Amino acid sequence: MTSTKSTGASHIDRWEVQLRKGCLDLVILGILWPEKLYGLEILRRLERDSDMALSAGTVYPLLARLKADGLLESEWVEADAGHPRKYYRLTALGRRRAVEMARMWSEFASSVGDLLSPVLKEKRQ
Amino acid sequence: MTTRTDSRIDGFLSRLRAGLRGMPEREIDDILREIRGHIVELSEAEGSDVDAAIRSLGDPVDLAKTYRAENLMVQAECSGSPLVILQALRHASRTRAGRFTATLLYVFGYATVIALWREAVHQLFAPARTGLWYTPGSAWPLTFASGGAVPAGSRELLAWWAIHLALVVAGLAVKYAVDHTARWWLRRYRHSKPLSAPC
Repeated sequence: MTSTKSTGASHIDRWEVQLRKGCLDLVILGILWPEKLYGLEILRRLERDSDMALSAGTVYPLLARLKADGLLESEWVEADAGHPRKYYRLTALGRRRAVEMARMWSEFASSVGDLLSPVLKEKRQ
Repeated sequence: MTTRTDSRIDGFLSRLRAGLRGMPEREIDDILREIRGHIVELSEAEGSDVDAAIRSLGDPVDLAKTYRAENLMVQAECSGSPLVILQALRHASRTRAGRFTATLLYVFGYATVIALWREAVHQLFAPARTGLWYTPGSAWPLTFASGGAVPAGSRELLAWWAIHLALVVAGLAVKYAVDHTARWWLRRYRHSKPLSAPC
């Protein structure tokens, strides 16, 4: 019985990890939509505004990948902090991709939400 | 920053640099500069110690592997070098059997390209012995012969230059197909596997 429960829990954990993995790109594009930010700021925003607590070891290579794909561009800016900061901003392609992905995400979440509403109602009762 | 904390940051960065070896030097410098900034700012601004800031990045070897893997995929998508593409294919294959199969298929594809081009070169030196031969009355009336014995009573159906051109074009077509398929698979792999799991 215990093993069935733990298998179920680990399955849920794996599923959640997969779910989060699937929207990493969209989350970063969304955070950079209004303004340019540097790595540590992106991590802080993720922690503050979302449930996506990503590690620095995940975010920096992800930023490098999005840049290699032409969705982001970067520039070094001398800061008062005493060391330069690498700021990232969306390119025109990145903005188009963000719109596309956000639209798809919204439609998908809404249709799955409709499908799951009886399940959630049952749980409340 | 004290000398001791500096040495801890330098230690982390030198391990990271070692792991990034093979990537373009400019990109390595860029990564190290960004990661140093992260450690310094996190440890100074938030009052956490340097060790905690370093720990937030995980193992430098793993971090370097993630950067390198990504760099390899990008290079394979842009590079014309079969070795780079093969290296990326091997990296993207999750199991030993997958690595073996990917290597075998890719090497087989290139072996076919080399064989076709070898024939093209050979055909230049032995035009009379290379061609598509038609032998009336034979069980196998059509034979492609290259440098070997010409079937008795047969005649050649194509001009030498047509065979030469066909071999060169066939070699190019196979090369394109092999590289294109490999890159298509790598692109699919890359976009289906967004780095490591969130922690």
